[in-house]
Amino acid sequence: MTETTTTEPWLDSNQKPYIQIVNATKKFGNFTAIDNLSLDIYKNEFFSLLGPSGCGKTTLLRMLAGFERFTEGRVLVDGEDISEIPPHLRPINMMFQSYALFPHLTVEKNIAFGLQQDKLPDNIINQRVEEMLELVELTDFAKRKPRQLSGGQSQRVALARSLAKQPKLLLLDEPLGALDKRLREQTQFELMDIQEKLEVTFVIVTHDQEEAMTVSSRIGVMDSGKLIQVATPTQIYEAPINREVADFIGDVNIFKGIYKGQDEKGTQLLSEDSKSIIYATQKVDVPVGNRIWFALRPEKLEISKKLPEVDCNILKGKIEDIGYGGSFSTYHVKLENGRQLTAIRANRERTAEHHLTWGDEVYLHWVPHSAVVLLS
Amino acid sequence: MKKFGNFNIAALVIGFSFLYIPIILLILFSFNESRLVTVWGGFSTKWYGELMHNQGIKDAAWVTIKVAFISSTVATLLGTIAGIVMTRFGNFRGRTLFSGMIYAPMVMPEVIIGLSTLLMFVSLAIDRGVLTVTLAHITFSMCYVAVIIQSRMSSYDDSITEAALDLGCTPFRTFMLITFPIILPAIVSGWLLAFTLSLDDLVIASFTSGPGSTTLPIKIYSMVRLGVTPEINAVSTILVGLVTVGVVTASLIGKRQKQQLAQS
Repeated sequence: MTETTTTEPWLDSNQKPYIQIVNATKKFGNFTAIDNLSLDIYKNEFFSLLGPSGCGKTTLLRMLAGFERFTEGRVLVDGEDISEIPPHLRPINMMFQSYALFPHLTVEKNIAFGLQQDKLPDNIINQRVEEMLELVELTDFAKRKPRQLSGGQSQRVALARSLAKQPKLLLLDEPLGALDKRLREQTQFELMDIQEKLEVTFVIVTHDQEEAMTVSSRIGVMDSGKLIQVATPTQIYEAPINREVADFIGDVNIFKGIYKGQDEKGTQLLSEDSKSIIYATQKVDVPVGNRIWFALRPEKLEISKKLPEVDCNILKGKIEDIGYGGSFSTYHVKLENGRQLTAIRANRERTAEHHLTWGDEVYLHWVPHSAVVLLS
Repeated sequence: MKKFGNFNIAALVIGFSFLYIPIILLILFSFNESRLVTVWGGFSTKWYGELMHNQGIKDAAWVTIKVAFISSTVATLLGTIAGIVMTRFGNFRGRTLFSGMIYAPMVMPEVIIGLSTLLMFVSLAIDRGVLTVTLAHITFSMCYVAVIIQSRMSSYDDSITEAALDLGCTPFRTFMLITFPIILPAIVSGWLLAFTLSLDDLVIASFTSGPGSTTLPIKIYSMVRLGVTPEINAVSTILVGLVTVGVVTASLIGKRQKQQLAQS
């Protein structure tokens, strides 16, 4: 089969999804953890399920692994319905949040465990274990027991163990949650490299939106057992479909108001905060007078002491708080009506030429193109 | 480390003397040359030699070890199953009742356990003997094993089991290859505890034993009624030694396991 390599298979209607979750529902007693959820994931994708705790993302992952039964619906891998197959017979492996290494077995025996269950000959097992140890750079630690490993090393053993059987699909439950920030960032790139090298489809569960943005081909934002938006990291960040997604992914300033129609500058919103008309380029298709929202990322809000030389989208306020973050600073600006907005500015100048300080009267401004119009 | 104050040292000495002087005296007098128990007549191990010629004590010792071995093994098996089931099934309806019922024999007066098992054997027309003592010992020592296993299982990460299943291991093999080796130390210390409990039980054994199934504690008790002899001291010393070894081993295993858990 000649597969045309496309970086965005979900846009190509000729591409067949590799994992198909069809109308999945999971109930625990009266509680609905997963609510009629459908999702297609393509081969070699690095798909993230992102959501607040209790949103059902881990339950969905456990349903894919076979640890939770479907109340309704089914899941297909490569066209084959695996909903009724018990976990130990599924062509899927999982990396657990706690790593779940077998404490009484050495690193190499941990990695070999899955291969031994398949009754593979010893020389093949040894070779595969060797490869995996090399992949995660733990060759020198082969004879150690899990309790003699650091957190980062344990994480890599868990990864190697789950990849050793060359699964069709690898599930990762908060794989980096237990690592410190520096190690986590480094490991994110390692994960991406490994995923590319081995061409395994990854589905990862995380509550860390930065992590999801960094590693994923696509992100599924979940809440209350439903998928709210499935899109690429850029789309999720730049074009969230509602306030919930906008708020969950990164910081955002939301302007509430009434839709006043379109003109040459774009969509008009009568802001509740400034009592004036503000603009966004994006067009909407709702009746005039409806309640709509503008979402504006803090880095798209320009902050200055001088009145900007533009004809729209200027708000006046006072600096309440400054968070110095080294490469950038975060400013909390209070508008005249008491509403607080967040603006981020890169610290390009080392000197204090453009110095802004507490209590300064400032102007906030954005180009209409930067704002996203939200209908809910 | 903090230095011991005078008061602490005094408290320690008094407390431990209170606990151990009687036992130390017993051990001391088992090495007494004199036949008179309370008069020191010089060091000797002759009473231990005498034991070897006392057929009654040798028979009782054999019965005791046989009963302890079988009952602790069966109790460990049942207690392990109970302990695992109680943790694995999470919160089902009536869970508190069930776990309460497993622990109840620990606080139940031994006289009651002895009496009730005796009544059951009589009503089932089972002749009292080694079998009945063994069954009664299984009944009361099983709960101790269940408690030990349950506390081990409560710190057992279920995802380890799931990881094994996920890697293609069948549920039964997962238990044998993963769960069992991990909780083995707890099982061993449960067995040792059940063994020592059976070894030194007098009350329940005296209700459920019959002719030919006299255990060592019963034998000692009946010998004492005819007067304390240095022979009794000697056999008691051996019993104390056995129990000490059992309990110390069990707690060492437990301690090592805790350290391993803390490290991992």
